[in-house]
Amino acid sequence: MSAELPVFQPADYKSDLKPVWCAGCGDYGALAALHRAMAKLQLLPWNTVVVSGIGCSSRLPGYVSTFGFNGVHGRALTLATGIKVARPELSVIAVGGDGDGIAIGGNHFLHSARRNLDVAYLLMDNEIYGLTKGQVAPTTPAGDKTKSTTWGNPEAAVDPCELAISFGATWVGRGFSGDPKTLVDLMVAAIEHHGFSFLNVMSPCVTFRGDEQFKTLRAKLRSLPEDHDRTSRQAALRYTREKDSLTTGVLYEVTEPSLLDRMADVRQKAQKAGPVKGTADVLATFAPAF
Amino acid sequence: MARNDLTIAMVGSGGDGVVTMGNLVAQAAAREGLHVIETEAYGPQIRGGETSCTVRVASREIYAQGDTVDVLVVFGWESFGRFRGEISAAADAVILYEAADETQFEKLDLPLGEHARWLPIPFQQLAKDASAAGAKNIVTLGILAELFGLPSDALRRAIEKRFSKKKASVAEANLKAFDAGRDFARSVTQEVGHKELAYEPAEPRLLLSGNEAAAIGALHAGCRFFAGYPITPSSEILHFLSEWMPRFGGAFVQTEDELAAIGAVIGASFAGVKAMTATSGPGLSLMIEMLGLASMAEIPTVVIDVQRGGPSTGNPTKSEQSDLLQALYGTHGDAPKVVLACSDVEDCFHATVEAFNIAEEFQLPVLVLSDQSVGQRRETLSASALVHEVRDRVKPAPSDLTGYERYRETDDGVSPMAVPGMRGGMYQTNGLEHDEAGRPTSLHLTHEKMNAKRYRKLLPIRERHAFFRRYGPARADVGIVCWGSSKAAVKEAVLEANARGERVAAFVPQTIYPFPKHQFQEFLSGIEDLLVVELSYTAQFYKYLRTFLTLPEGRTHVFKRSGGKELTVAEVAQEIDKVRGVSASRRESVVA
Repeated sequence: MSAELPVFQPADYKSDLKPVWCAGCGDYGALAALHRAMAKLQLLPWNTVVVSGIGCSSRLPGYVSTFGFNGVHGRALTLATGIKVARPELSVIAVGGDGDGIAIGGNHFLHSARRNLDVAYLLMDNEIYGLTKGQVAPTTPAGDKTKSTTWGNPEAAVDPCELAISFGATWVGRGFSGDPKTLVDLMVAAIEHHGFSFLNVMSPCVTFRGDEQFKTLRAKLRSLPEDHDRTSRQAALRYTREKDSLTTGVLYEVTEPSLLDRMADVRQKAQKAGPVKGTADVLATFAPAF
Repeated sequence: MARNDLTIAMVGSGGDGVVTMGNLVAQAAAREGLHVIETEAYGPQIRGGETSCTVRVASREIYAQGDTVDVLVVFGWESFGRFRGEISAAADAVILYEAADETQFEKLDLPLGEHARWLPIPFQQLAKDASAAGAKNIVTLGILAELFGLPSDALRRAIEKRFSKKKASVAEANLKAFDAGRDFARSVTQEVGHKELAYEPAEPRLLLSGNEAAAIGALHAGCRFFAGYPITPSSEILHFLSEWMPRFGGAFVQTEDELAAIGAVIGASFAGVKAMTATSGPGLSLMIEMLGLASMAEIPTVVIDVQRGGPSTGNPTKSEQSDLLQALYGTHGDAPKVVLACSDVEDCFHATVEAFNIAEEFQLPVLVLSDQSVGQRRETLSASALVHEVRDRVKPAPSDLTGYERYRETDDGVSPMAVPGMRGGMYQTNGLEHDEAGRPTSLHLTHEKMNAKRYRKLLPIRERHAFFRRYGPARADVGIVCWGSSKAAVKEAVLEANARGERVAAFVPQTIYPFPKHQFQEFLSGIEDLLVVELSYTAQFYKYLRTFLTLPEGRTHVFKRSGGKELTVAEVAQEIDKVRGVSASRRESVVA
């Protein structure tokens, strides 16, 4: 059957829907990188599901020609959990923004990392709420003025990579939508990783963070040093909460049993208790057998 | 005079082992082929605290936990006092209480009958004397067996089984304790023969709780994915499926919250695997946003809500029927979903299987409303009653997969649903309004058309899946309508009234939405007065009925109260009498 399969080009992963994003939005770069990463991996479109919540970047599943699920705000990873656990053979990619994933969906992010859920999670971080037109996000730097922080943001920002590492994600990377070449490689590695992979993609919002967000980020762009030990949590955390630089690359990568590995173990243990043919076997355990 | 129906209640505090006692009585009675209903009640403490266990055993079919208890065992009056107003003893009840307890129980506001027989028994001392200080409950079982005709042999075997995983000496010590109780009972001089059970042994019966029956129903329906978050009184479903789902090769996930549970269920079902979650009222509140998603994206979804007293943390260990309006109307937007109810343990099985059948066939969320009363009580059942046809979702035919449109318009609103892995079946689903291909749109005309498509699915559900029960004669002076666990007391009251020659009937819908309206209207046409019975302070069911029906004017009566205590047969009987009185005086006034 595989002999009949075409070779998929990046364009084959493109849907016929035109993105609703503003001209100049960083998400275009992320989307193009995803199309190319999928082609590099030759993912079978019909065996791939792209899942999202709500937000500008959460519109992405509609622009990818695979199975897609644009769900409700904050719950992308819950849907992805069900899809992947129910059908382990599928490639499941969750996407979304910083508000969706770190604010309203923060709990699911932490627990997906803790479980080492076998899903790649690509977060398009623009440090703002775009779809609702410019409110403060958990990644907005303190002091910044937004529609909902008229006098400046009184809260501290969080670094999603730091959260992911702390909660047990087994692959954590950072990319920039203005650096497509590195981004494609990072996406390929994230999707290929066994377990929970988290890629924070800095993806500027030209409308609510201004044109200069691209420039500012590009100016801060750094690569990881050659001798970076990506298996060290300590080393990885050094590249989180950065102020004057934006280090991209694979910050952290370790091999651990994934959620599906552990669930397979559980199933094996359970099945040692004896074969079950149907519910009659279950009912029999409720008969007073003495 | 011996009897064929006996209710025993046991009250104590943590460590007294009253629940073990109740379980053993129930198991031994089920072994003898008797009909059993067993309920447990707890205070809010995590361990310890007051506990009661009530077991009704009968050689005939029973439908409700007995209103009054025939035999009451009190290990401590302080614990008993905490169930004030919840345990009523029959006028001729036998009360066995700890002789060493110096509490002035005469001063308690005891709902006990005045002709009750009082037997002070040194339970604790007897256990010590039998060198089984920790087995006071087993000593007591021996006493109960001897005094009230409980099956001693079956009890001994139940005790042996109970301790079979421990050292042999443990079972031996407990059996010794049991025999010590029996010996002591022979020295009791008071006459208690009027509470002695007599029966013919029959085939052993299954003994299970409503929550267990619901979980078995899910497995039977082919559910192979469960995600849930612990919440009283639904957690037994979670526990049960934690054990059995992996044995069936399925997946079980305890999620970080209810939002994740319902999300995972919707995801699994989108991926083509039958999936379910179980919760209680507060958890349902958290899930309701995503039930709108399941409705909009047309994804089969099953949720069991084992109701408890609310709002908020409310009365988590007690039953109530006050999630009805939340279940029916909780969702934002116009979101079709089906609501089923279970009125007893057997129903928990059938309603759950049917919930899957409807959800899968019509691609929408189905809520099953159970409650603490039916969920946590154990009843005896015959395995032959637990049979239910299983249906699956409509998969696209190969021809559907050319130019596939996920939400294609069809006569009944049901569009073939592709699942990931189907080449040619690819689509993007959405919580956004979408066109037939699944593409997001905010066009008014598409929204109107797709709403109509989604709601159209309810028509065949109402025609083909109208489940309800009916008791009593076709023409009646009083017709009762109730739902869920209220059925127990209502059915028993109606059958008792019929036995006295009174013309009383009852209608109990199991499909709450879409409501079996025509069948109910037919019921209404045969009755003089309507009595709505429910455990909801604001009469949610009555309000719901009025949204689509004109109830008989001047002839509709409502009996409602908060939950926290089970509806009793006596309460229903009293209401029937009241309505009959009103009805009679109205007839007289018409004649006059």
